Amino acid sequence: MSTKPKIKELLVENACEYNKSKKSACNISTPGATSGGCAFEGAQISLFPYADAAHLVHGPITCLGSSWETRATKTSWPGRDLTQMGFTTDTSIKDVIFSGEKKLAGAISYIVDLYAPEAVFVYCTCVTALIGDDIDLICKQAAEKYGIPCVPVHAPGFVGSKNLGSRLAGEAVLQHLIGTMEPETLTPYDINLIGEYNVTGDMWQYSLLLEKLGIRILSSLSGDGRVASIRTAHRAKLNVIVCAKSLISLTRKMQERYAIPWISLSFYGKRDTSRGLLQIAEALEDYDLLQRTKALIKNEEEKLEIKLQPYRKAFAGKKAILNTGGNKSWSITSALQDLGIEVVATSVRKATEDDRAKAKEYLGKEGILMMNPGAEQAKLIDEKGVHLLLAGGRSLYTAIKKGIAFIDVNQEKKKSYGGYEGLLNLAEDIKNALENPVFQLAGRNAPWKK
Amino acid sequence: MEKIKRKSTKPLQINPLKLSQPMGATLAFLGIDNCMPLMHGGQGCASFTKVYYTRHFSEPIAIQTTAVTDVTAILDGGDFSIIESIKNIRKKISPSLIGLFTTGLPETKGDDIRGISAKINCPLVYVNTPDYEGGLESGWALACKAIMQQLVQATEEVDDNKVVILPHVSLQPIEVEKIKDFIAGFGFNVFAVPDLSTSLDGHLGEKQASLSHGGITIEELNDLGNAGLVISIGDSMFPSAEELQKKNLYMRHFHFSHLNGLIATDKLVAKLLSETGFDHPPLQVERWRKRLQDAMLDTHFSLGQTRILVAAEPDQLVGICESLYEAGGKVSVAIATVNSPQLKKIKAEQVLVGDLEDAEAMADKYDLFIGNFHCEALAHQQHKGLVTRGFPNWEQVGNQLKNDILYEGGAYFLFECANAATVHREHAQAS
Repeated sequence: MSTKPKIKELLVENACEYNKSKKSACNISTPGATSGGCAFEGAQISLFPYADAAHLVHGPITCLGSSWETRATKTSWPGRDLTQMGFTTDTSIKDVIFSGEKKLAGAISYIVDLYAPEAVFVYCTCVTALIGDDIDLICKQAAEKYGIPCVPVHAPGFVGSKNLGSRLAGEAVLQHLIGTMEPETLTPYDINLIGEYNVTGDMWQYSLLLEKLGIRILSSLSGDGRVASIRTAHRAKLNVIVCAKSLISLTRKMQERYAIPWISLSFYGKRDTSRGLLQIAEALEDYDLLQRTKALIKNEEEKLEIKLQPYRKAFAGKKAILNTGGNKSWSITSALQDLGIEVVATSVRKATEDDRAKAKEYLGKEGILMMNPGAEQAKLIDEKGVHLLLAGGRSLYTAIKKGIAFIDVNQEKKKSYGGYEGLLNLAEDIKNALENPVFQLAGRNAPWKK
Repeated sequence: MEKIKRKSTKPLQINPLKLSQPMGATLAFLGIDNCMPLMHGGQGCASFTKVYYTRHFSEPIAIQTTAVTDVTAILDGGDFSIIESIKNIRKKISPSLIGLFTTGLPETKGDDIRGISAKINCPLVYVNTPDYEGGLESGWALACKAIMQQLVQATEEVDDNKVVILPHVSLQPIEVEKIKDFIAGFGFNVFAVPDLSTSLDGHLGEKQASLSHGGITIEELNDLGNAGLVISIGDSMFPSAEELQKKNLYMRHFHFSHLNGLIATDKLVAKLLSETGFDHPPLQVERWRKRLQDAMLDTHFSLGQTRILVAAEPDQLVGICESLYEAGGKVSVAIATVNSPQLKKIKAEQVLVGDLEDAEAMADKYDLFIGNFHCEALAHQQHKGLVTRGFPNWEQVGNQLKNDILYEGGAYFLFECANAATVHREHAQAS
């Protein structure tokens, strides 16, 4: 039987609130009017952080050639960081005509010989899916031959969006890894982190706090994750989804199969970090742990408050507009408010109903939810006397025209904004942006213009 | 020199240098004003490409995709996806040109984009660029050839003052501008195809455009046929020049494999002098030649004791190695992204088509790396010096203004390499 997941089932995920109002949220792409990555990219984002595994992309060069070593996802794996390496069969016309299966088997053998990974993930792509290379069979044979997991990932780009690709990656992990090994020890405080990719070390901002509380991260999908530990994930007491909604199918199925409950939270900003820690403690249903968590939160918040004082002074009376998508529309709002910045408006054009409700809650009565931010933000900057615009690169022109500070929220970051400590990084970046004269100077009139 | 290794014996690429044809075609269409590059394939190819170039140039990149899905891959011969795409693009914006090109997916199923293009009633150039063949350089060159074939009108008139230059893909925007200005200095009216010097040169415009902004205009392209002279730079561009010549029997063609270093620039100047009948080039050119001569002497000591690995697209590889050779730089390993007839011209001890795993395996053969951003981790790990060149460079800003060519850029390039080598030696000695 093929191990290919049923895409239809993944698209109508009942546990996902995106699907309450729409029939098929994750698979709409209009020719000539599509932006955003493909399913392969989604799978790559979800699985590449396993630094102890080799990630072999079975396809022509565009898929990996343009995308390897793009993400600052960190690992503490002491061996070679395979996340930052690129492996691809680089499908040629010969493979298209005569099948690329032999080459694929050779590639796996080459990798196992030279890099001794803990596992090999094999990603099929549009072309190799279309020519019908049997990656299930090749992976099965390789797993038997080399004695390590070889996981076929069926997320060729043309099946849909990044989001669907993440789900397909989750399916592959569930089918081939989870439940295939037993952990050496168990504690009542074992959790799995799902959808945390440890970009810029975000996860390490709060993993130490979890450790202090005696909560053990049994496994992670997949930030700073290990193949050996995700195989034991079925023994955890709780699944914690961090920010990403795309892996809900996985946690729902793990609940059905292994009776592991799941919660979803974010570690962005002070309030969300505190709330997140509390949510975990509550879900683990341990009175002592809950008390310890409350004490730790109090302590951490007090420490942070002292460090934030100088920023609060600098930010007093400052107003910001936020123009971004999805859960960032409220999670960044929350972080800005933690810093004492008034968020005048936020864009909810691309947000779900749930995200909109949350944004409204954070912004309060006065706050404006922008449905057409491109047109609205310029006007609001003047009307409300806004000092700071946080948006994607497209809005830079608006900021320069108005001579106000700008932060590109979509830019690849080098440092983490997550957890309590990350808020200080965000504060420092905002302070630097507000102090920077460039936003007024760059748009200065040329001497020959009147 | 050892034999050139033109083909890898490995069943895979590890830490690839190679990039794809559709990515090269994208860039070519971005050198035409008010153009929308339309990639026919899965949505991811366009998305990856957009992010890739946005990070390299720190500029917004215009591109759209026909978003072929698993369903349309089977049921549609491309007609639906392409016609629908163009309709949807034109609903929102009015491009002067649509640059339609393929990826591996529609080529595997055999879409007839030529036939489909004939049904489309708006300015369009089509080109087949599957990513299971060739690489960045050939994708750019194929697009350029298609532009010549499909846009330039045939004529018998000749404007002897008009010169068309055809730069290879690795020339950064400022380099294209420098070549244009250099030739214009001899009194010519110069056009570049594609022309990134006014589109991706990193200039602050009035507003954010959703199409390419700057580059050669479609009217200028239509009228290229009366140019008296076409100059191709890089062997990949030779076929484009021949294609252009088909539009006018009287057009002449000069070809340069590259314009890096003293000898290559001397050759260009000699040609331009004989064309114009001038005794001397412009004063600035003479001055820069002297500066380059001096730079060669100033840098020869450092470069002469440096073993260098250069990794690049074939046309750029030839040029860089030549420039280093002139000042005594010892290129011990030259790694090309793909095979090309150019490789036999490379001045290096060892030439191969390969990836960065190959570079790693030869780590004892070089001290200085010249290559793209992906070389950085390796340079760091192996304690090598690094000069970043080629696509992509996501680590640094200002890539569009890096100039390595002609007398002027050649001088800057040698200084940068010599300084990097010196710093590296001092670090190596200290540790």
